Amino acid sequence: MSQSDFILDLLHKSVDQGEKLGLDFIEARYDDLQLTTIALINDIVKQSSAFQRKGIGVMAYFNGTPGYSYTPELNLEGVKNATKRAIDLAKSTDERNVMKLDFDSIPAVKDKIIVDVKKHPKDVEFVEKLDMLKRGVSSIKEVLEPTSTTGLYGEMFGEKFLVNSEGTEIYWAPVMVDIRMGSVFMSEGKQSRSFTGTGASKGLEFFEEKETTPEQTGANAGKYCKEQIDAIAAPVGKQTTLVSPLMGGVVVHESFGHLSEADFVVTGQSPIADRVGEELGSEHVTLIDEGVSKYGGLYLPYDDQGVKTGRTVLVEKGILKGYLHNRGTAQKMNAELTGNSRAINFMFNPLVRMKNTYFEKGDLSFEEALEQIGNGVYAVDMSGGQVGLDGNFMFNCNRGYLIENGQITKPLRNHALSGNILELLKHVQGATKDITIRTGYFGGCGKGGQGGLAVGFGGPNVIMDQVLIGGA
Amino acid sequence: MSLDQVREKILGIADQVLKYAKDLNIPSTEVFVYNLSSTNLTDNKGKVDSRDGLSLGIGIRAAIGKKIGFASTTGFDKASIKSTLNLAHSIAKTSPENPMFNGFVAETKTSKEGILDPEIPNLDAKDMIEHCKVMGQGFDGSDTRLVSVTYAVNISWGGYALGTSEGCLASSLITTYDANSFVVVTEGGDRKTAGDFVQGREIKSVEGLTTNAMKHGLESLGSKAFGGSEILPTVWKSREAAPFLMFPFVTVLSGSGYVEKQNPWKDKLGEKVCVDEFTLIDDGQNPEYGACRSIDTEGTSKQTTTAIEKGILKTFLFDKMHGEAAELQTTGNAQRGFGFGGGIPFENLPTVGPNQILIKNVGKNLDEQIAEIDKGILITGTPIGLFTANPITGDFSITTNDAFLIEKGEIVNPLKSISIAGNNYETLKNILTIGSDREPSSYPLDAPSMTFKGHTISD
Repeated sequence: MSQSDFILDLLHKSVDQGEKLGLDFIEARYDDLQLTTIALINDIVKQSSAFQRKGIGVMAYFNGTPGYSYTPELNLEGVKNATKRAIDLAKSTDERNVMKLDFDSIPAVKDKIIVDVKKHPKDVEFVEKLDMLKRGVSSIKEVLEPTSTTGLYGEMFGEKFLVNSEGTEIYWAPVMVDIRMGSVFMSEGKQSRSFTGTGASKGLEFFEEKETTPEQTGANAGKYCKEQIDAIAAPVGKQTTLVSPLMGGVVVHESFGHLSEADFVVTGQSPIADRVGEELGSEHVTLIDEGVSKYGGLYLPYDDQGVKTGRTVLVEKGILKGYLHNRGTAQKMNAELTGNSRAINFMFNPLVRMKNTYFEKGDLSFEEALEQIGNGVYAVDMSGGQVGLDGNFMFNCNRGYLIENGQITKPLRNHALSGNILELLKHVQGATKDITIRTGYFGGCGKGGQGGLAVGFGGPNVIMDQVLIGGA
Repeated sequence: MSLDQVREKILGIADQVLKYAKDLNIPSTEVFVYNLSSTNLTDNKGKVDSRDGLSLGIGIRAAIGKKIGFASTTGFDKASIKSTLNLAHSIAKTSPENPMFNGFVAETKTSKEGILDPEIPNLDAKDMIEHCKVMGQGFDGSDTRLVSVTYAVNISWGGYALGTSEGCLASSLITTYDANSFVVVTEGGDRKTAGDFVQGREIKSVEGLTTNAMKHGLESLGSKAFGGSEILPTVWKSREAAPFLMFPFVTVLSGSGYVEKQNPWKDKLGEKVCVDEFTLIDDGQNPEYGACRSIDTEGTSKQTTTAIEKGILKTFLFDKMHGEAAELQTTGNAQRGFGFGGGIPFENLPTVGPNQILIKNVGKNLDEQIAEIDKGILITGTPIGLFTANPITGDFSITTNDAFLIEKGEIVNPLKSISIAGNNYETLKNILTIGSDREPSSYPLDAPSMTFKGHTISD
């Protein structure tokens, strides 16, 4: 028996065990993911690591109540025990569970997906990957004399299987690569810092593309760090802001996307619960979440309930159209399936999570957008942010520029963008006609103890009025 | 499996892996064996979710002189362990030398392990549901201002073992319990959230958590706009001072940041960095804290380190490699998977992280501090954006809608969302009062309530 057949057999045995015990639904997932990280700090390889993450997770539904368990023990006993524990959890918590999220059967899916990769990371030697980082660091040093440098390389690939009691059997082989470069400068009382780069659901051919070569990423890190040395303070207070695809994508993901996750909606925690059809934003606001996008980003053909991922319109021309669902919330709210049930790995139960979330494009050129703003701020890149369940958000912009008379003039010191997304969407005044979506191995989305889930975010450059800029 | 059986199992596996490594002729090996069982239960407005499982895995560092490779695997099966050893060894062969690396911990030396509660492994989902019921007792769920209430109980038990080919073989076990209740309330368009929690190494009383959360939430309703921008003193409750100060102290006490020249206090050793009353220790030996372990994650015995004494920076926190690179020594601060979002310990290399940072109590309680403020802001909930401060310059800008206006020594009204801006390192020099009322937080830093001289408040 091949390893694949052995795993499929284990998954089917788990499902059989659940069916014999009268469950409404049971699914078993298998991950075998290989992850590699290389960290080049100040020209020293501080980390050179390979992780193998493999195991089986079982989700059982009894009377509409879920229970989840998992095991890294890939043998019949280990899987039987995990299945039993999942069933026991579902049954023992059923009495307390008054919000049943059961769901009807859907047709079984049989699919096998292998991403077309031209230069698969498993076929490339360590020294070639390290060399990319060295080339990137050299490019930083061509721009300035940094106090310290950071180069990070990450890759993930492997296999995922999903089997459920409806007869679904899905196999796919995800892949992702990423390079980040950073620089710190401290001298004579002046301090600056940069960190930039991106990843893709592609092979290493991604780093041969002009915009994402290690040399270009390193040169960008050097340039951004150098700019910051003499950057000026951002104008504080409410400003008209041109928000870059990256920054706008993160704002939409963190502050609106999470509010649209239907598990927050059915419990009433989201401030946009029960508001479908309401005007939440200006006519320039159309927000999308999709699994496979022509604009790039994360490649996610199925979610972790075996639902094919589609294109979900969350907001169309300012009107709230719907939410992001797993099968249970979709049925409870009488909505279409959206394929948003995701788990970071086999050790976690799927939650309602985003895929690629972005602003839809507008009709402005970049120059027209600047001209429309006149005087304001161009917020380009960020180094983290946080949001509340009330729609309040705060993002730290680590690369931004002053806009004066329709022109980008001076780099700005780190500053914060904050506000309430439900207010801000009313002040969106237009968007450019180009779209970029980013994803990556480093970073990711956190929810319910599952940090670092790969997602995609992006959009065009978006004009937002009344953005509260805070400096220090 | 009992805790004693867990210890026996992980020590046996560590020893076995070292034998495999010797058979494979790997010159030097460190193995980190991890075994943690956990159960989580949440009840979110009657929507109950539960999860349990056993996280098993091994992280292996193989060294050839100063060349190091790291590989990890989930599970303990023999084939995976051997392939992981081979992978770590092959990475070491192709890696350049790390000049800072001087070998793995060479002796077994342990310190206090901390409290282990033998009842925690016996809790099941039904018991945890009972804890949720107790959390909700005495709480008025019919209040029309209540949008939702969430109960959560999480338990874990297990530990890790560390072995090196140089002669270290030791283990450290832990039991953990945490429970929390979280409410969303609304009135007249004002929407607030609030919560309360208990956590520790033993099962805790959960009575009153939901009532406390509701009381706090309702107090925050009826908020008014601050209106404008002003530099004002800020008073932070103990549990809010903790996350506010955690980010800057994790940065400035980092021994790896010091060695890598990314620590803004890299030239401040022996200098005055805070007010005279300020003393800070990193405590790895208080048996009630999760940070109390018999060894850190590379095998050094844990300890307690006074990092700042009477405002003077005395030392940074180090793991073995960075301590030796700084021509100092480890302070027992090697951690795996530390940082925002954490990580799976056995998938991470040891890096420098705090144990439990404690800021020593000094003088006045919260009410006394408020009474001294002519005009200022009381912070009663964790602001958002705390972890986005610039670690090099210290500039920060955060927002909160859990704040109250103070005027003439009295709390006047709750505030709608405000932003608070300043500089972390200037803030540490501008402490007006260090309180007397330190409470345990959910962060690796506990602080008493504190008052700072001036931050820019705006809305």
